[in-house]
Amino acid sequence: MDANGKITVAAEGRGVLPETVPGPAENVYLPKLAVLVRVQDEIAEVKTFYWHFVDEAEQGKFRAFRPGQFAQVSLFGVGEFPASLPPSPTEDELFFTVRNVGSCTAALHALKPGEVFGVRGPYGNGFPMEQYHGRNLVFVAGGIGLIPLRSCIVYAMAHRERYGRLQVFYGARTPSDLMYVRDLKAWEESAGLECHVTVDRPADGWKGNVGVVGSLLKKPGINVAVANSTAFVCGPPVMFRFAIKDLLQLGFAERDIVSTLERYMKCGVGKCGHCCIGVAYVCVDGPVFTYEQIKKLGEDI
Amino acid sequence: MKARLMRSEDLAMLVNAIRRRGYEVVAPFCNKGRDTYYDTVTDENIGRVRLHVPNPYYPPKRFVLPPIEGLLRVKRANGTYDLQATYEAPKRAIFGIRSCDVAGIYHLDRFYLGREFPDTYYARRRRELLLVNVVCTNAELDISDACFCVCTDTGPAARDHFDLQLMDLGAGELLAVAGTLAGEALFEEPLFTKAAQEHVERRRQILSEVRKRFKTTTCWFSATVRYVSQGSVPEKTWEEIGNRCLECGGCTYVCPACTCFTVSDRPAGRDEIERVRIWDSCALGGFTRMAGGHNPRKSVHDRRNRRFFRKLAHYFIQRELSMACVGCGRCAAVCHGDVGMPSVVEMIRRAAALEEKIEPVPADGR
Ligand SMILES: Cc1cc2nc3c(=O)[nH]c(=O)nc-3n(C[C@H](O)[C@H](O)[C@H](O)COP(=O)(O)OP(=O)(O)OC[C@H]3O[C@@H](n4cnc5c(N)ncnc54)[C@H](O)[C@@H]3O)c2cc1C
Ligand code: SF4
Ligand code: SF4
Ligand code: FES
Repeated sequence: MDANGKITVAAEGRGVLPETVPGPAENVYLPKLAVLVRVQDEIAEVKTFYWHFVDEAEQGKFRAFRPGQFAQVSLFGVGEFPASLPPSPTEDELFFTVRNVGSCTAALHALKPGEVFGVRGPYGNGFPMEQYHGRNLVFVAGGIGLIPLRSCIVYAMAHRERYGRLQVFYGARTPSDLMYVRDLKAWEESAGLECHVTVDRPADGWKGNVGVVGSLLKKPGINVAVANSTAFVCGPPVMFRFAIKDLLQLGFAERDIVSTLERYMKCGVGKCGHCCIGVAYVCVDGPVFTYEQIKKLGEDI
Repeated sequence: MKARLMRSEDLAMLVNAIRRRGYEVVAPFCNKGRDTYYDTVTDENIGRVRLHVPNPYYPPKRFVLPPIEGLLRVKRANGTYDLQATYEAPKRAIFGIRSCDVAGIYHLDRFYLGREFPDTYYARRRRELLLVNVVCTNAELDISDACFCVCTDTGPAARDHFDLQLMDLGAGELLAVAGTLAGEALFEEPLFTKAAQEHVERRRQILSEVRKRFKTTTCWFSATVRYVSQGSVPEKTWEEIGNRCLECGGCTYVCPACTCFTVSDRPAGRDEIERVRIWDSCALGGFTRMAGGHNPRKSVHDRRNRRFFRKLAHYFIQRELSMACVGCGRCAAVCHGDVGMPSVVEMIRRAAALEEKIEPVPADGR
């Protein structure tokens, strides 16, 4: 390096460091301030938090996110956690849907409208929505697995003409465990999309399907689009394993099944090492992987 | 690269020349025997700076990646927050850094400055760092039984990525090689004189002699990379390695090429918190534990496996164009269970070779 601190290239022509090192503007660990606007109850322990950036310019930049990406949410003094982006970039409002499971998520749940927290991102690869143009999209979700898929579903509806058939298969344990009920209702009524909902255990007044989500795929009268289709699977580990089995049986190729992986994450930018699974850093190489890729990661998920 | 000659007795003069240029100089000091450590050179201790000392176990990695590093200070006021990134980047020289550790810092460069998100904290420190490498030539003092840089191709003489390299030619002479313009600038000091072809020749002779003084020279490193990358390491070998690991995390803390950290918020005064990052270890139980208690890497051999997989899988070597093991042997020296890198390499090679055993072909070719 020279007197100005600029890195010079070694005498043999091999660089010691990249020619320019990032300045303070590109501090990837610096959260941007965000304001909580309102809170919507979803199911027990799960709430949706609508928010916007304090700085308008940040809001504009961030809105270019892709379905399937995530953000790091900062509760100052408590810590940071990764959260999916359930809104579609075609929607106006930004929000997170978060289950209260630990210290950071509890701190978010304790925030009141008007209060300030931090967000950085968007991170991760997201779903390659352009690659699916002209294809049928089959969404299979269990429980809060609908959170990361919601973005895709709404995005596909907003660009209805780009995709073939759209099918949503969603299962929860009981009727009161169903997420995004207002969206489900709209989807069920929509002509552009087939939405099938089921619960493991019905409660009084439940008139819909009963059984695990996989049972929907085989139900008489339901015709799952298999040819020229991509299936999206998100849900708890048990549901994931069975749904994959069902889809493979139906004739889906491994590369046409996509999912998002969840790992303990500390940085979101490929440095802390926490999210590493086999040969992948989930935060930068994922969280979206095809089932074919998941099988080749070299470590159990 | 330009080369110059200097006299060993002028070592302190060189250190002072670097200090005069505004650098804090850190160098390995020797207390007694194997007891060595990096410390800041002062007027008082400069007389104790030596060329040949056993490489300190606690690696110089901390000068680019401190064990605890402040990232932000967050002040709460009027219902909002004031965020201040906390940068610290002293102008610093590591004098006497061994070749393996030079490769270690290069690996950190590739990792922290590469890919989508360059790390500005790392970059700022790195930008101010001057590396004065010393070639390990003294078989008693420099080279330990655990050193295997000849297998990882990182030593005993670094070929690159230093600013200045010093090598003991014996007879009170040192050959200095400049790796960067910053290193070359030091040749302005009157203590340097012209080197001749004869010195370069002597350097070569000494190096080929030194290479014979390594105990761990046949550790089958590249073969192991192949076995790990192919996935041909038997599960029971990973288990065996895991069973020997006591989960102390020591290997990761002494490793010059381990990169993992965790992030934590801590109080830093009234209405003020500090966000810090702290060295972390994949050997420890909580590393991958997720909310709700689900831990995808529950058993110890899964975690143990992780460290060696990360260092030996071809995928990562290609991704970073450098290897996350630089052959320093520190993990071998600190491991209670004898699962340092050289023995792991040996265990893997032996097991995979057995597995791959090819039936002998009869002599007549039938
Ligand atoms: C890409 C991605 C997207 C996600 N999207 C969403 C989303 O949209 N909505 C959502 O609700 N969740 C989402 N999650 C999960 C969410 O990030 C976690 O629930 C969250 O990190 C929990 O943080 P916490 O601080 O509240 O819990 P913590 O307090 O960190 O931990 C909760 C529990 O885990 C244990 N634990 C965790 N780590 C350790 C450790 N190192 N040592 C000891 N114990 C530990 C704690 O003991 C505690 O019981 C996502 C995760 C990922 C990776
Ligand atoms: S893995 Fe062991 S031998 Fe290799 S660089 Fe790290 S501490 Fe040194
Ligand atoms: S591993 Fe090689 S370069 Fe490192 S201290 Fe040992 S001999 Fe020197
Ligand atoms: S979350 Fe830190 S490396 Fe992926």
